[in-house]
Amino acid sequence: MGILAGQSAFYYLAAVSVASAILAITRRNPVHSMLWVLALFVHVAGIFLLAGAEFLAAVQVIVYAGAILVFYLFFLMLLDLPAETAGPRFGAHWPLCAAAGLAFAALAWYADDPRLVPAMQPVERATRSPGSLRSIGMALFTQFALPFEITSLILLAAIVGAVVVAKRKNVP
Amino acid sequence: MVPSVPLGACLGLSAVLFAIGLVGFLGRRNIILMLVSIEIMLNAVNVSFAAFSSQLQDPRGQILALFVIAVAAAEAAVGLGLVLALNRNRPGVSVADLTELKY
Repeated sequence: MGILAGQSAFYYLAAVSVASAILAITRRNPVHSMLWVLALFVHVAGIFLLAGAEFLAAVQVIVYAGAILVFYLFFLMLLDLPAETAGPRFGAHWPLCAAAGLAFAALAWYADDPRLVPAMQPVERATRSPGSLRSIGMALFTQFALPFEITSLILLAAIVGAVVVAKRKNVP
Repeated sequence: MVPSVPLGACLGLSAVLFAIGLVGFLGRRNIILMLVSIEIMLNAVNVSFAAFSSQLQDPRGQILALFVIAVAAAEAAVGLGLVLALNRNRPGVSVADLTELKY
């Protein structure tokens, strides 16, 4: 892929990501929000592909768009709250929230200003592509074996916690 | 594959997405959409991780992003379980109604 094609694809994906994120947090109907979040996740997966992280893109589509988002949609339909779409979408303090978001975006935008932080040193390029499943798998099962196992503990705790929290009290 | 994504643009996109998620989390009244805003923020951080991983040619950024995705799944499960338990006692998902510590 040429540099120009890659860059134009990146700017398309970035623009659509930002637009769908803004639409997601401003829609009145939560189901519409979920669908815009789905668009956001798919476009972020495209950005991962452009960044050479193929495995991460696949995991993004499978886990985020496939599992987590379907879980949210299922949950919305389980609760079935049509009255929620009638009230105000944002709390009364929304200007403060918008100011906080703008301040954060400005701070993070200027965080790599060379007058504020030392410039990043260029590093020598590895020969193997970092996105290859082989290098990720080798690192995951050797250098990151302990965090990987702890992740399974986190997921187990989440399963047990969700069951305990959502269980009906009067059912033995 | 030559990384064609400029690092600065990726970090800017990550900052903007994180800020949008922050506004949604702080401002929305629907507790489910607050949880979704957290997912948007976590995704923004993943964009940063992928950009640094591509720039530094190092798979560790992608591994951290995988851990972030796992933690996001756990957070969704527990958070929505809590919403379900709250909803059983008092229908509605508006955070303005949650004024009591015990039901």
